Amino acid sequence: MVNLTVDDKQIAVERDATIYDAAKAAGIRIPILCHDKKLHPFGGCRMCLVEVEQMKGRLIPACTTPVSEGMIVRTMTDEIIKARKLVLELLLLKHPLDCPVCDAAGDCDLQNLTYEYKVDANNFTDEKFHWEIDYDNPLIERDQNRCIHCGKCARICDEIVSYGAYSFVNRGIEAKIGTPFDGKLDCEYCGSCISVCPVGALIAKPFKFKARWWALNKVKSVCSYCGTGCQLTLGVKDDKVLTTIYDEDQGFHNGQLCGRGRFGYQFVNSDERLTTPLVRKNGTLQPVGWDEALELISTKLQEARKNDPSAVAALATPRLTNEELFLFRKLFKDVVGTDSIDHSAGYAHEALTAGLKESFGITASPSQIVDIQKSDLLLVIKTDAYETHPVIGFEINLGVKRKGVDLRIISDKTGKLAKLPKAVNYLHKPGCELLLVNALAKVIVDENLAAESAAAITGLDAYKGMLAGVDLNQVAAVTGVSLESIRELATAYAKAEKALILLPIGLGYPGHGKELAQALSNLALLAGKIGQEGSGLLVLGEKNNSQGAADLAIHPTAGGRDAAAIIDGCASGAVKILYIAGENPVVAYPDRAKVEKALDNAGFVVVLDLFLTDSAKRADVVLPVKSFAEKCGTFTSVGRHVQRIRKAIKAVGESRSDREVLADIIARLTGEGVAADSATLFKQIGCYSGVNYDALGDAGAIYPVNVSPKFVPVVGSVPATEEGKYALLTGSALYHCGTMSLSGVGPMLVCPEQYIELGRVDAGKLGVNDGDRLKVRSASGELSLAVKVGLRMPEGVVFSPYHFADASINSITSGKSVTWVSLSK
Amino acid sequence: MIVPLIKGLQITLKHLFKKPITLMYPEEKPDVAPNFRGLHALKVSHNKAKCVACYLCPTVCPAKCITVEAGEDANHDKYAAKYEIDMLRCIFCGYCVEACPVDALGMTQTFELANYKRSDFVFTKERLLEKK
Repeated sequence: MVNLTVDDKQIAVERDATIYDAAKAAGIRIPILCHDKKLHPFGGCRMCLVEVEQMKGRLIPACTTPVSEGMIVRTMTDEIIKARKLVLELLLLKHPLDCPVCDAAGDCDLQNLTYEYKVDANNFTDEKFHWEIDYDNPLIERDQNRCIHCGKCARICDEIVSYGAYSFVNRGIEAKIGTPFDGKLDCEYCGSCISVCPVGALIAKPFKFKARWWALNKVKSVCSYCGTGCQLTLGVKDDKVLTTIYDEDQGFHNGQLCGRGRFGYQFVNSDERLTTPLVRKNGTLQPVGWDEALELISTKLQEARKNDPSAVAALATPRLTNEELFLFRKLFKDVVGTDSIDHSAGYAHEALTAGLKESFGITASPSQIVDIQKSDLLLVIKTDAYETHPVIGFEINLGVKRKGVDLRIISDKTGKLAKLPKAVNYLHKPGCELLLVNALAKVIVDENLAAESAAAITGLDAYKGMLAGVDLNQVAAVTGVSLESIRELATAYAKAEKALILLPIGLGYPGHGKELAQALSNLALLAGKIGQEGSGLLVLGEKNNSQGAADLAIHPTAGGRDAAAIIDGCASGAVKILYIAGENPVVAYPDRAKVEKALDNAGFVVVLDLFLTDSAKRADVVLPVKSFAEKCGTFTSVGRHVQRIRKAIKAVGESRSDREVLADIIARLTGEGVAADSATLFKQIGCYSGVNYDALGDAGAIYPVNVSPKFVPVVGSVPATEEGKYALLTGSALYHCGTMSLSGVGPMLVCPEQYIELGRVDAGKLGVNDGDRLKVRSASGELSLAVKVGLRMPEGVVFSPYHFADASINSITSGKSVTWVSLSK
Repeated sequence: MIVPLIKGLQITLKHLFKKPITLMYPEEKPDVAPNFRGLHALKVSHNKAKCVACYLCPTVCPAKCITVEAGEDANHDKYAAKYEIDMLRCIFCGYCVEACPVDALGMTQTFELANYKRSDFVFTKERLLEKK
């Protein structure tokens, strides 16, 4: 610790702190324009100039100067004020001063400081800038005339997002923030640059001119897209969510968001939202009152409850709150008496609910998100982890670039993560993950690198016996990863003091099921990486409450039907009543034709959704439900983090929350009312008994788990290949998450339709370019898709996302990790 | 005792022959001072309203009677797609005029604002545009 005096206050701070950090710790505010706590110090704006007794004669920038013992700092003297005024005058000299039409006004650092330092005249005169304004970008509007050259946009894009869309171009007074070759901005659209821009040079186009910053009601909540659990602040006015607001003090991610979190909020106030309950009468869905719809559902359920509870099945989306999932389980398991409940098509939660349940005795990851930056080596399964969990991707970027984390990726394609400095991507043939993971374990055993702690874990002998049968040469030949690479990776993983495995799961990862999770658990146990900080296994659930749905056991636990069996049961007539809370199986579940037939065939289908989805169109009763912005509750995100969401707006139309609907149905069935407020319900959730709801606050809480490890040998099999065909992989596009982002305007502006991505070599062979169309034919169907040519896909492998309702990829896939397709123009 | 009475009558008589202060409204109209705070007017320049929809007037308005919605025109400029003042709520304080950074709003000498329906008291942008 270093002792120093700032404005007569004695402070002790860490050795690596700057004067700015020290002053902040003491509650003394030093004005800044170019500094951000997430970024490396830059020292460009000279607003933070302070006086240091030991360095008299000149003013010192506080944000770049490290503290030293006995330093005496003054942050506000007449000379400093004069200097700061001069800085502001020089900045205002070129600034257009178009505050009345600038969206940043009210939240503009330059405006606030100008006001604070009473800069009402300028000693200088000069012409203003006349840069052309970029109006063409769908999400980010760039007005270089307002820019004050703080460089924060370029730095955040480089340091945290690792994209590098911006840089300073030109020199001196001609300098500006430019894109490569001054071309159009085509980036990841995470909007981080907008969030840190201290002025209005970068503004969010969807929010342009919508409201003033000061007129917005700021409501803290949690993002409802992926499982990362980023906290966000909603900007609300007149019961409409108009924007998301940057708050650098929110969450582990310091307010950092991805594109869909920042720009995908429009689904909340979409005109397409359902507003009244609908009941099918004479073949069409007609608006009815809530009472009629609920009475109809209750009567059907009551009948089934008495006669044949097993004919009832229910699917829930892991986007519901924990409290809603709790009531969902209560209604179907306890009240109706059916075990046929499931979520995420069954396969997308297996890694947690079956894999880790067996290997670790828990349905959650032993590690947390903060372990990423504390680790020495990260083993990421598939580069797609960045696409599905972009903000965890930022954590990986920071780990690699700032903490020197050794990043290793096992993936069937290259991608953003593989491009990070020193990252090694072990590119393998599709569908070979399990073989590769077992081969790594085999090397660890063969080279005696197994940890001593592994000996005490049950099942080691059986596991070693299984590994003895692994032929490394064969694995190398099948996977396409050389024997040396396998050896090198296994050695590096075993020898790393702290090593963390990241396994993303979800509808976009059909191969990441029970077996892979167990193989990875075995590997981590064998190398002794479970149970210490910065080490372990982190399973990344796909949706905002995937972890909660796994914890609350929204899956069959007593021999009931899982999602696939429910769909089959509907088709065969065994399932007569299907209750779908928020899922869109027609688009998201494997084999569209089969799901459509099943929904048509089921006797009585109830769908609760925000929108009239393709699944809702086939229902007998459709109920409008509230979005995350209209209700309270909790989500559990990756790493067992329980966080609260808060009601920001009034219900849209007549919509009710799933919680209210489920409580109502339970009351109608049992004749007894149930508590429907989230606080009471949360306290009833057994698996969260270690979490105090009232103390959750803004930060949330991580619930504790006890790992009881076990080796569960899983044998990999050589995936089938088909000669002359392309391996089609399905997954997530960076801008989308599930099917909900289709109603968020932002994501659709940058990624509007189903596409097929292929590498340059394949594109050359087929003679297609970006935007052309290709016929994609599999055993189960054919689609015509737009072509996207990139550097991500290796030869013979193509990719298509699963989100889109039109030409949905599940029309030609059936839930296998690889689908073999032929491509033709 | 008689003296004060005469004095009082004197005043009465004086006023009897003076020009009356009251006006025979509505036949006679008063002279309204130029700085009178009457009905608002949106000033026009280059054939369009000067207002840039900065939202300062609804922000400063103590009666919350101004509704502005900004729009983007063909040149990507900000303009007031909707500008409404609810005269039933307005207290004619003139803060809106004071707050306007582009001198787009003024107050006229029009004070005759009576109407038959409540809805008629909501002045839309068209009704507020300055009549030249």
